[in-house]
Amino acid sequence: MSFESSRSEDKTKKKKRKTLASYSSKPHTKTLGMAWGSNSPSSSKSSTRKSPFANFGSYMEEKNRKLRDQFDADASSSSLGDLNGGKGLFHGVSIFIDGFTVPSSQELRGYMLKHGGRFENYFSRHRVTHIICSNLPDSKLRNLRAFSGGLPVVKPTWVLDSVAANRILNWVPYQPEQLLNETRKQQKLSAFFALKANSSSKDAEITLKDAETTLNFQVKLETESSLSKGNAVNDALLPEVGDSIESKSRSAEESACAGPPGHQTPCEVRIAESGSSDLEDEHSVREAFHSSPDRPSATVDSSCLNDKNMKERLDSRVLGRSNQQHSTLGDPNFVENYFKNSRLHFIGTWRSRYRKRFAHLNEVKHGNPKVNALPPSQGNTIIHVDMDCFFVSVILRSHLELLDKPVAVCHSDNPKGTAEISSANYPARDYGVRAGMFVRDAKARCPHLIIFPYNFEAYEEVADQFYNILHKHCKKVQAVSCDEALLDVTDLGGDDPEFVASKIRQEIFDATGCTASAGISGNPLMARLATRTAKPNGQCFIPFEKESKSIGAEVNWGVRLNDLKDSQDFLIKLCKEVSLRLQGCGMQGRTITLKVKKKRKGAMAPRKYMGCGDCENLSHSMTIPTATDDVDVLQRISKQLFGSFCIDVKEVRGIGLQISRLESATSARQGHEKKILRSWLASASENTGQLSRINCPAKEWSDGEVLLHEGQCGCNFTDHGKQHFCGNSGQLCIDGTASLHVNQSSGEAGLNKVLTLPPIRDLDVKVIESLPPEIISEMNEMYNGKLTDLMDKSKEKNDRKGSSLCTTSLQEFEESDSGARNEGKQPLHSSLVHQDNIPTKSEVKEIMVRGIQPASTSCSSYLHFTTKGAEQVDLMPTSLSQVDISVLQELPEELKADIIEVLPAHRTLDCCDDATVGFVKGIPHDIRRTNSSENSVAELDFDCKRNLWTGSPPKWVEKFKFSHCQILKILSELYYKSRSKGKLSSILQCAFSSFPLSLDLGGDNSDEALSSLSELLKQYIEIKIESDIEEIHICFCLLKRFSTKSMLLLQAYNIVIPHLQAYVGESYGGNLLLSCAHE
Amino acid sequence: MERRGDHQSLHNQTPRILIEFLEVAINSIVFLKGLYPPGAFERRRYMNIVVQRARHPQLSDYIHSAVAGLQPFIQKGLVERVAVIFYNKEHIPAERFVFKLSVNLSYGSKVEETGLEFALRSFLIKLSVAEPLTKALPHDCSWEITAYVRSLPEEGNKETQLWIPTDTKQWQQPPLITPIKSMSSEPLCVQLYLEHPSQSEPTVPVGNDE
Repeated sequence: MSFESSRSEDKTKKKKRKTLASYSSKPHTKTLGMAWGSNSPSSSKSSTRKSPFANFGSYMEEKNRKLRDQFDADASSSSLGDLNGGKGLFHGVSIFIDGFTVPSSQELRGYMLKHGGRFENYFSRHRVTHIICSNLPDSKLRNLRAFSGGLPVVKPTWVLDSVAANRILNWVPYQPEQLLNETRKQQKLSAFFALKANSSSKDAEITLKDAETTLNFQVKLETESSLSKGNAVNDALLPEVGDSIESKSRSAEESACAGPPGHQTPCEVRIAESGSSDLEDEHSVREAFHSSPDRPSATVDSSCLNDKNMKERLDSRVLGRSNQQHSTLGDPNFVENYFKNSRLHFIGTWRSRYRKRFAHLNEVKHGNPKVNALPPSQGNTIIHVDMDCFFVSVILRSHLELLDKPVAVCHSDNPKGTAEISSANYPARDYGVRAGMFVRDAKARCPHLIIFPYNFEAYEEVADQFYNILHKHCKKVQAVSCDEALLDVTDLGGDDPEFVASKIRQEIFDATGCTASAGISGNPLMARLATRTAKPNGQCFIPFEKESKSIGAEVNWGVRLNDLKDSQDFLIKLCKEVSLRLQGCGMQGRTITLKVKKKRKGAMAPRKYMGCGDCENLSHSMTIPTATDDVDVLQRISKQLFGSFCIDVKEVRGIGLQISRLESATSARQGHEKKILRSWLASASENTGQLSRINCPAKEWSDGEVLLHEGQCGCNFTDHGKQHFCGNSGQLCIDGTASLHVNQSSGEAGLNKVLTLPPIRDLDVKVIESLPPEIISEMNEMYNGKLTDLMDKSKEKNDRKGSSLCTTSLQEFEESDSGARNEGKQPLHSSLVHQDNIPTKSEVKEIMVRGIQPASTSCSSYLHFTTKGAEQVDLMPTSLSQVDISVLQELPEELKADIIEVLPAHRTLDCCDDATVGFVKGIPHDIRRTNSSENSVAELDFDCKRNLWTGSPPKWVEKFKFSHCQILKILSELYYKSRSKGKLSSILQCAFSSFPLSLDLGGDNSDEALSSLSELLKQYIEIKIESDIEEIHICFCLLKRFSTKSMLLLQAYNIVIPHLQAYVGESYGGNLLLSCAHE
Repeated sequence: MERRGDHQSLHNQTPRILIEFLEVAINSIVFLKGLYPPGAFERRRYMNIVVQRARHPQLSDYIHSAVAGLQPFIQKGLVERVAVIFYNKEHIPAERFVFKLSVNLSYGSKVEETGLEFALRSFLIKLSVAEPLTKALPHDCSWEITAYVRSLPEEGNKETQLWIPTDTKQWQQPPLITPIKSMSSEPLCVQLYLEHPSQSEPTVPVGNDE
């Protein structure tokens, strides 16, 4: 386009042209409208016919020359050159504009015109001196030299600033940021000093600082060498220094063998480490250098002195900086402090410590090259053990109250600092805090991030314990790092490697208080990968020979479908077939691929009768998080996939369904659902066909599934995390007399599982109370909620009378319950109390409520909330949905009112808002009318729901996070992911494009979710109606489109639409047209 | 459309940018509707994107003078909406492109011109692909630029006299709105949307004026 405008400028100007053979020698004006050569159409025609140019190259040459001529002509008319003493500001500068710039290329051209510079329309290495651009594509960045030909690449502001300053400024600071970042990554020394000169912060990148130290140290050595040798030398230091140099040279050799140059840095500095906390020490180092010329210190020396010129340059620079507190100049103990705080140093020195410590063991290892290399032969079993966020969790041992808070380890806690996070725990990682991130970035993502300094003694201690345990279990240990090792357990023979791994992890946890993850597989690589999936605090076993085949069924013959219903029926049958095949193989898969053969346009009738003929093959696939062989899941997904083809069913000639990413059905359960044994027990009931229900009279097994907490053999419940169920037979003993048997002979498909529940009266409440809340709630479910009754009753006995209103009302409640109904029916409530067993004396109690909803919805939810106060016990269910409505109706009016009044008082914490909504909506109308306090509840509810969009992140994000409605949860999660913060449309877009599957999870569409969602939408309309009707339009088009897939969205949409139209009518005098323009 | 080199006061800057933008946008709309043959337009560059500008002197002059005449109104913050209305043979609006404007005149700090231009650019980009949102125009149609102002300025200088009160026919029913683009970049908030007659709109004028 650039030439176009230059063309338009031609309009008024007459130019001198050199005559070309076929060009008319008349002044040839190219005006826009009148096409070329309106003066002499015939000649122009002939000129195109017999092109004067031998080839494109000569054409371009001519064109460029002409453009330059035009430029000169323009320049002569508009140049300010004369004012500046004959030569323009940009004399000798010739720019080339690459891509879109602000100001535009035409404006820049104007500047060049004015100030005596040149402007090139086409890049030429010879004529261009500066390349101007704002952004560079990745390919050009990567291959900058090829693109720029070594010329300076600068931002357009360089031109502007130069004009403003009336001199040509140095272009270096005007390089595009992308370029600067690039060089920073490469860590060139020049970039480093450019950076250093600007920043006054101590926390430069560690490696850079290493380099600096080395150089600086070198500098000092040099300056001091001018001092006489006769200076006082601390003789006593000499041998020590000699030692250190020896060790240093040894490690230098090692690192030279190891290869990567990065290792050299810690080695080099090791001289300094023993050397130089003050001047005297440095003398001694120098002396050591001098006095031991025969020692191989030269290797180190030369690496420092590699580039003498460079060093000298740096020399002056380093010395030139005087105002930096943390630098080598400002702080006499710099080196000492530096190493005290260097994590890399710690890791670097750790290996030699480890060598020393486990020398006798390592001899075995080193003597055995097979282990050393850990070859991936078939029979091997490798366990990879890695501590979970080592640097943090070691520190958190002494700060248990911070376990679930975001914590990171770093040099400095300065929130603006550029210190790098070296390790962050998992809560912090949820905020996007990563190792290697600057503190200021981390704080930006997670403002309440707690930062601890390093504690190297503790790290050493834990690392030693860690390796002690590893060496105890296995002779062949390959240390990877202080918190990470590979074990070769091939020779261990009988022991199941998974068992070994879990034992090791348990011991590590017992000994150090820190968790570790383990991966087990046939070779180190796979083991590492397994660890990655196992983290945090888990273990994962990848079978050695992984079959990556798929199971599926395909029909390509005789497929003729008339309408959508036909296709659905066909899909259902196909899914059944595939599901049966999967079950036959004992496999489950995660990726579901639907292939469709579609008649090619204009294809003939197939030669084979009812064959598929000439077809296009289409396929779509979807991967789901957990492996499945369930026919319902397959049907749902395949329907969705089929829908996504958007083809006329009449043209379908074949359909195939394939399941890949297979996992064996048993290992899938162990691997993915280790937290909950629901499926495991379900399969048990499938397999054995019966569950013994001895001693469980009058128990309703709601859906044949029983929840049992994971637990490794015995009653080992100390671990709250995901502990791997190790597949051995486990026995959960409760009070000795009765027991829950969970038997699983590992590796067998037909499992013998016997499940026996002890009678509830045999349970010791004290034992149960000391169990973790998850277990209690799961057990409670097994007892159909009676367990909590039992616990509550025992509580009642012990509790002081009248501890709170809610307790008493609950008691009444309970009494009337038991009066009104038979024992053994569903209890009125199912909350249960759990005394937190984390060994801290904090007053925070965790009350865990397992909600059992009325039979109509199968969805149950966990709600966590905490209450302060040591003795106060909270026994009310959190929402009315947990209360049997029919019971409530039986109650006298006063009691009803009491209960309803008490309920919202519990939910002062905002995470329970949803429950409130559900509660208000959930009450049948007759109760509503009778309840006088209901209005106030609604008001309270209304108040806390106002302003869902205020704050950053807006309130609804937090609120929806705890919703048990899948869609709302996803929206909340996506708020953080979507790039344009706060725009609902982009969140919706993300949600619907990335989670198409979850849209038809029908079961969770409770009224509370609906009202939350519609309230959110209404408030959004209010905010945006005046300024951004486009955004609202997009949102509602999206909603409308996806309301076909989800009842919840449809309902919300229908509720909100009248509001929307009313608002639009008010502000714009019309109705919003919601035909899906986006489709 | 040339940038004025002379230094304008901060106060005038935003209205000037807005006027300039409106002129370009209206050119684009007229091109988009295909009222005139494509040859009547030329490709130009504005804010670094390609736009179409009427080449016919009368056409481009009409747009230019109409919009330029808005400047005093805009400076006073009187203009609420500017509509480009396409009429059918009966002079009943068939389609309206409405710019809803709101200029924050009290905006104190320096206007970030680049940011503003960047936001306005997105209008022009969106406009160039908005064709599917619009309706095909009937055969003998006409169009005009209409401004909705909050009040008429009393003193009639030369520029304001370009604008005359109009008695454009209105729709009986509230129209259907299709947003095209919205932007809000201090001190300017511009929204562009389409208005079409609703389905229940009587096709024959009820005839309240003639």
